[in-house]
Amino acid sequence: MAQRVLAGPRPGTTRPLGSPRAVIRRRREIVVAYLLLAPALLFVMGLLAYPIGWEVWASLTNSSVQRVSASYVGLYNYLVFLNDPEFWVAARNTIGFLALTAALKLALGTAVALALWRPFRVRPIVLLAVFLPWAYPAGAAMIGWDRFMSPPVHTAYSVLMGNLSVYFDRWLGNGTWGFLTLVLVNSWRGAAFTGIFLLAGLNGLPRELFDYAALEVRTTWRCFRLVTLPLLRPFLALATLLSLTTAVADLGNAWLLTGGRNVYPIVWTDSFRYALIAGQWGKASALALMLVPVLALLLFACYRLFDPLEEGQP
Amino acid sequence: MTAPRWLHPCLRACGLALIAAGSVFPIYMIAIESLKSVHEDVTGNPLIVLHPTLKWYLGLFDPVVWLRGEIAVQSVPFLVWLANTAIVFAGALAITLVTSVMGAYALGRLRPPGWRTWRRALFATYLIPQSLLFLPLYTLVFRLNLDDNLLALILIYPMLAVPFCVWLLSAYYQRLDPEVEESAYIEGASRTTAFLRIILPMSWPTVVAAGVFALGVISSDSIFAAVFLPNQFHQTLAAGLGTMGPSMDNLSVVAAVNLAAGTVVPIAALSAGAYVRGLTAAMVEGA
Repeated sequence: MAQRVLAGPRPGTTRPLGSPRAVIRRRREIVVAYLLLAPALLFVMGLLAYPIGWEVWASLTNSSVQRVSASYVGLYNYLVFLNDPEFWVAARNTIGFLALTAALKLALGTAVALALWRPFRVRPIVLLAVFLPWAYPAGAAMIGWDRFMSPPVHTAYSVLMGNLSVYFDRWLGNGTWGFLTLVLVNSWRGAAFTGIFLLAGLNGLPRELFDYAALEVRTTWRCFRLVTLPLLRPFLALATLLSLTTAVADLGNAWLLTGGRNVYPIVWTDSFRYALIAGQWGKASALALMLVPVLALLLFACYRLFDPLEEGQP
Repeated sequence: MTAPRWLHPCLRACGLALIAAGSVFPIYMIAIESLKSVHEDVTGNPLIVLHPTLKWYLGLFDPVVWLRGEIAVQSVPFLVWLANTAIVFAGALAITLVTSVMGAYALGRLRPPGWRTWRRALFATYLIPQSLLFLPLYTLVFRLNLDDNLLALILIYPMLAVPFCVWLLSAYYQRLDPEVEESAYIEGASRTTAFLRIILPMSWPTVVAAGVFALGVISSDSIFAAVFLPNQFHQTLAAGLGTMGPSMDNLSVVAAVNLAAGTVVPIAALSAGAYVRGLTAAMVEGA
């Protein structure tokens, strides 16, 4: 058993173990590996462990700015929200936002990747244009988009945008325009990232597969559905996972940089509000953690999907 | 070469034009708005600028009196923000890349028992929207006496980018043919020498890709920056932009947005090709 653990993952990557010297070398290798890994783990896990622990603890107390000593209240904060119809509206909005932006990002990103896949004359220029939205700092982009979509001051296009926002809000309920702004910003940035990411994935796929497919499959659409899409599956899952964090960060940016003007009820922006304006840390923490089960399910699904990529080539 | 013909060429050209235009249009809008006078911004054509002026840009470097609500705030120390941003980016990027390369080499090449699990655990942290952790992180920063200090950001930003960088680089090192290294050992090189002289130069496109990704993530944060840096003279651009409210007769904030983007976009633009190549190199099966 110990021998097998020390033998490393795959034959051929390390020298076969026979002599005790080889075992010692492998042991030293493992020690070195952990030493090299330590800083990365410290920066990520170390910095995450404390805050997550704190957040879980805080969500079980009534801690707030006004109270010096917090007392344990059990699941009270969670129960308050579960019985609060407003929370359910916010939860629906949040999951809707994540699903909608994820779908948009994947669809647009796939289109971008397929369009840029084969070389053509101005490809570098188009690639650069597609790359810019993601490279543009999110905070700056948020301010720009907000100025454009809901102009805070009178400009040449503010009347048009104002009319549009009123029209949408009448049609689909208050706050629709603010929600659409967020969806647009996030999709604009996320589609750029997803597109480039999928393009890299496509570039890495063996060309022969598509040559065979061209012989076997008649229509483009079938080829895409039966060959390209299954091959891209792990990359799609990864891109979804990566864009999720961005989506949440964008919500925070929107809330912060528009001076809290963009107060469409979304679970996390509500959490920001509880924390920064009301100072209700316990409630804010509970709210931030409410959707963790949903996220965990998503992570599990993504892992099932991108497993093939993890395996690599023997 | 019988690649599947995806689209009718004409349709395809239209699609590409649409993609490029959609990506650049908002950037273009905010760029030309910063060149307009207030008069032109209100009465002119929103899509073009006829009488460009640089006064908003120049104004950022003058002492301006800002009206925020009721309080007149002293000028925005734009150059200070710029310098702070450079310090934070450089520091966070260096830490991110060094720790990622080390960790990735350990996971992809040395493969201690359970390396797969470690890699997954690192990557799983991506599912925790880090922006939700600003409150506990703030208490942590406060305890370490780092509030209002750029070091807080330099230490926290790597957390945002390291998981992806480790995953990307370790995928590359894992797929790298071990014989490259073996031959170096036969020549009598130590592991360190082999890594620094052979492996690292071979992986530079992927390192660049990781760096570009990290830069994108770091420059996109404004939540941590705003929460940790209350003092105007210690702020980075991201935090400073949030303090510049919109006002009727002043387009400085738009100019500031463009300048802030100007710190990152050129770097990213120059490395767009390398970024795609580096990502591909990490994903290629059996490279």
